[in-house]
Formats: sequence, structure tokens, C-alpha cells
Amino acid sequence: MKALKIEVIGPDPPCSRCMMVKRIAEEAAGRLESGGVKVEVVKADILSREVLTKYGTLVSPAVAIDGVVRIMGRIPTEAEVEELTRTAAEERSRD
Amino acid sequence: MSLGFKRKLRTAALLLFVFAVVGLLIYSRIVAYSLAPTLKPADFSGLAWYEIPVYYLWDYISHAWICLLFAFTAAGLVYEFMPKNLIVRYMGSNKVSGYLIAAGLAPFFTVCSCTMVPLFAGILYTGAGMGPAITFLLMAPAANILTILVTGEFLSWDMAVVRIAASLITALAAGVIVSKTPWGKAVEKERHVSQVSEQRGTVELAKPPLDERFISALKFGVYLAQQILPYFVVGLIVVGYVTAYMPESIVEGYLTGVTGVLIASIIGGPLYTPTLVEVVVGRSLFQLGMSRAALLSWLMGQPYDIANMTAVSKITGWKVVVTYALTAWSSSVVLSLVYGVLTGSL
Repeated sequence: MKALKIEVIGPDPPCSRCMMVKRIAEEAAGRLESGGVKVEVVKADILSREVLTKYGTLVSPAVAIDGVVRIMGRIPTEAEVEELTRTAAEERSRD
Repeated sequence: MSLGFKRKLRTAALLLFVFAVVGLLIYSRIVAYSLAPTLKPADFSGLAWYEIPVYYLWDYISHAWICLLFAFTAAGLVYEFMPKNLIVRYMGSNKVSGYLIAAGLAPFFTVCSCTMVPLFAGILYTGAGMGPAITFLLMAPAANILTILVTGEFLSWDMAVVRIAASLITALAAGVIVSKTPWGKAVEKERHVSQVSEQRGTVELAKPPLDERFISALKFGVYLAQQILPYFVVGLIVVGYVTAYMPESIVEGYLTGVTGVLIASIIGGPLYTPTLVEVVVGRSLFQLGMSRAALLSWLMGQPYDIANMTAVSKITGWKVVVTYALTAWSSSVVLSLVYGVLTGSL
């Protein structure tokens, strides 16, 4: 199965809050990996044409899980990112 | 203890804290405890040079902490609980309402250029375009919750109201003018992305439990304080010396009348004054004899400082930046002069 993508979306170079979110996402990903869910964390530039066409205007930092923006303008907890990603993985395997 | 109960308990405790902060502010009003510092320039005459910052900081912090605590808590709560999803969607609406929404929503976005610049770009690229984007950019630093509260408490509430009104006119004027220039139009055309794409993502925000939202709100308040307060303290030390040593004759000579408005707008504009510091510096100059009109033009310099302009120029190029800065500058001078003439405080 293809790895589930967690996109941390913020300006480039990243601001301190976005870096914090990236670290949280990576830690959540690490925990999910050890539970057998394949996850990939990437940093996306909020000003890039790609992000803008895909998601439109966002408030940074934002987190998109499997192509859906779930968090915007705040720093989530690790448990929250883990939970959201797990749900997304389950939904995907059901399809 | 069940998780649900724990959450309720935590929510209640956090609500209590918020009420306590609001209560403190109301209480200080009732007992007429001044939230602004009380030292006058004359009080400094007997102090040694190393005593000045100590006394000045103490005077400020002992009076201002309630106001600052309230301002940062309010800013955190507003930022967390505003419906970001809706706001972002409305920012992408058509021209005329785009201006209104940009100006009306800007107050809810408190500081942090790393939030401001992407939003500016977002409005420009996918939303209402160049004009509303500029309006938003100029309105947000001038009229956000934090700035308004501090201007109102430290200076005066009529000054805060005049500042909002003047900033609104300036931001709208700059937005409309830039959007009419050929270079403004060119950037808009070149950068605009249509949102029709095969692999369109969706926005479906998760809603965390209430206690976590409160914690997140207060954390953001703390984050803002960490960003702003160090500059604020350094600013206060400098202001302490200015208040103590600047001869009133210089301030009265240069910072009053038409010249005063012009000078204040020039040093208040391009010069980078971190958020809130412009209020305390302005307050000190005002005590030393700066006219109210000059004070207004000083305060209005905030949105177009060098740091902000550099970040924006990377997106739009220098022509747009120069256009909006000049428009904002002339508008702030004209409005300050009008204000001065109307209220007889030039």
C-alpha cells in the first residue's frame, strides 16, 4: 500500500510554529509506523502554485492528511495528528 | 476519573482563568486604578542614569500587566475561536465585498508576519485579488485586537477609534490605487491561479475538544507575548531615556504643527517599530509635547515598515510596494492634518 501523506503547510523558510508542527507530525508518524501504518511527512510551501491550486488560501501552519486539510492556523498535539492519520488510513483501506 | 470528566474539569478551570482576567480589567476600572504608567518626565530629574530604566520599567509593568495580560489572552482566544475556514472562504469572494471582508477581518489576525504574508498572497492569488490583499495587509497591523487594546488603554480610547478609522481609509485607498496601476494589474494577472484542477484537495477541519482549544488559545497568547514582550521591554528602556533626557523644547519645536506631522510620519513609517512599541514611544513623545495630530501620523506608520515591505516585495515586486507605501504615507499625513485642523490639535 502506498504511504499515507501528511503535508505540513507553511511559508518557506518555515516559521517557528510550522517547524514545531513538522516535528509533531514526524513523531506521530514514527508511532504509526511502528504500528504498521506507512506514513510520509512532507513540508509544503504555502505560497507555491501547487498548494494554492490544490487547497486555496490557508492560514499557516496547516496540516493536510491524505489530501484533506484537517488543521489550520494552530499547533495540534501529537495524539491528535496520530488519531486523524489513523482514521484516514482506516478509511482508505475500506475503500 | 473518566476522560470526559477530566476534560470538563479542565475546561472549567480554563474558563475560570479567562473570567478572572476579564474580572481584573473590570475591577481596575471600578477602582479607577490607572493601567497606564504614571511617571511624568519631571519625575526623572532626580534619578541617576542607571536608575532610570529600573524605575521606568517598574512603573510600566506594575500598571500595565493587567492590560497586557488581558490583551494577550483576548488575542489568543479570538485567534483560536474565529472560524478560519469560513474566513478563508469569504476572502476568496468577488471584488467589492472582497475589500469589505479584507478590512473587516484583518483585526482578527494578530501580528506574526509568517501568518500575514501567506494570507496576503492567498488573497492575491486565489481570492479577491490585488486591491483587497493590500487592504488586508495594511489594516491588520494597524487595527488588530492587541494594538487597539493597548492604544486605548495606554493612550486614550478616542485615539484608538481615530486610529482605526484613519487606518481603514488609508488601507482602502492604498488597495484601490494599487489595483488600478498597470504593474498592480500585471502582478495580479501573472500570479492568479484558477482553482480548477484535477487533483483538488479538500478542507475539512477537525474540531478538537473544547479544553484543548482553550489550551491552544492560551498557548498562542503566550507565543505572541514571547514574540512581542522582549522588544517591548527593550523599547521601554529606550523610551525611559528619551523621556528623561529629551528636552521638551525639541519635541515641541519639531513634533508640532505641519512639520510635526511630516516628521512623525517619516520616522514612524519606514523605521521598524515592533508591535506595541510604537504606542509607548508615541505616548512618551506625546507627554513631552508632541501634538495629537503628529501622534496620529506616528501611529499610522506601523503597517508599512521596512521588514513588512521586504517580505511583500518578494511576492509582488518593488513597484507595488513603493506604490502602496507612498499612498499610505500621503494618506496618513493628509488624515492627520485633517484631524489636527478639525480638533484644533495641530
